[in-house]
Amino acid sequence: MAEIPVTQEEIMAVYPKVAETMADALGCDVEDIQPDVSLIEGLDAESIDFLDMVFRLERAFKVKIPRGKIVENARGDLPESEFEQNGIVTPQGLAQLKEYLSEVPAERFKTPMKVADIPRLFTPTTFCKLVVRAQKEAA
Amino acid sequence: MTDPHFAAYSFVDRIVEFEPGRRARGSFAIPRDVARFPAALAAEAVGQLAAWCAMDAIDFRGRPVAGLATETRFFGDARPGDTLELVADLHACDDEAVAYDGHASVGDKRIVELVDCLGPMLPVAEFDDPGALRARLALLRDGGAAPGRFAGVDDIAIDVVERVAGRELRARVDVPERAPFFGDHFPRRPVFPATLLLDTQIRLALDLAREAASGTGSPKAARVTHVKMRSFIVPSQRLDIDVKLGPAEAGLAKATMSAKTDERTVATARLEIAMEESTRA
Repeated sequence: MAEIPVTQEEIMAVYPKVAETMADALGCDVEDIQPDVSLIEGLDAESIDFLDMVFRLERAFKVKIPRGKIVENARGDLPESEFEQNGIVTPQGLAQLKEYLSEVPAERFKTPMKVADIPRLFTPTTFCKLVVRAQKEAA
Repeated sequence: MTDPHFAAYSFVDRIVEFEPGRRARGSFAIPRDVARFPAALAAEAVGQLAAWCAMDAIDFRGRPVAGLATETRFFGDARPGDTLELVADLHACDDEAVAYDGHASVGDKRIVELVDCLGPMLPVAEFDDPGALRARLALLRDGGAAPGRFAGVDDIAIDVVERVAGRELRARVDVPERAPFFGDHFPRRPVFPATLLLDTQIRLALDLAREAASGTGSPKAARVTHVKMRSFIVPSQRLDIDVKLGPAEAGLAKATMSAKTDERTVATARLEIAMEESTRA
């Protein structure tokens, strides 16, 4: 499935509400939410927080966000066997991942990268993109 | 000893309306001989009804566990001998999570309302026998199970280790190694129920509120928000519970509550307490 492109302008349009929603979910100040902060490394988010954020964003924006499918979406058209092997993202998969998570600074992509560690890359901007894509799909 | 399964911590004994993945209505007869039935257990009953509705919708591949409760409103405790009427409305349900609202009432009196709760789904077979769960649901829907098997839950022992009267406290709770509720919650993987933790935290917060009111009021839990369970609490685990109470404004005091184990936060919640004044002559 082709990835729906998202512009910086579209990201910034939803960013304030996304940041506010995330701050509420994580119990932190909205000032702590920076566009490129790693939600896990920088804000101590855990899996339950991701579920919480997705549900809050769905309510706030009245969209349906495919829960738990961020990694699947990141894979795009690449078959799973080419994206990862034995839990490690392949070089081809890593290139695909960097393209999908273009907002994440390059130095955060480790080599080798475990599939289980992909959520460590997610930032508030990642979730802005999810919201914008969901809005476009619903339109 | 009585088999604890579907008895020691099960609060639905009849289901009268059932749309898998969407809505359920049921009831639970609180045995007359239990010492008390706190509102947190009524909230548990609503959650369990939602769990039946969700598990059936995904063919018992997963079962929801306590995760998030955006808001739970308390209106009063149900009494032993009362019959709780339960409603669960699911607004999303799949293999990953169930999202629901619900409420419990006794007659015309609302006991508790749950708003925007979210339970992550985990593989059901890790926790319970899927076949036994299917058979139990069939029984609940076909006339109901025999009431009266719940024998009550002993209050969890609390050791308050630090206290600033009326403002904050730190308490230690040693989760028991064995307890009847572990045989039901859950038979294959015992987990300390989040609602028991919540009940314990609320009791501590109300103690602080009574101190803050200097004996002139009768504080009551009004609303708990932002309940988040970050990981399972297991038998024999030691919990450090922190409760901080803010000043009352317009008759309402707010408390933050957290539970940690080995310095890791496992549960958080915020509580609003109605600082009702005692009846005056």
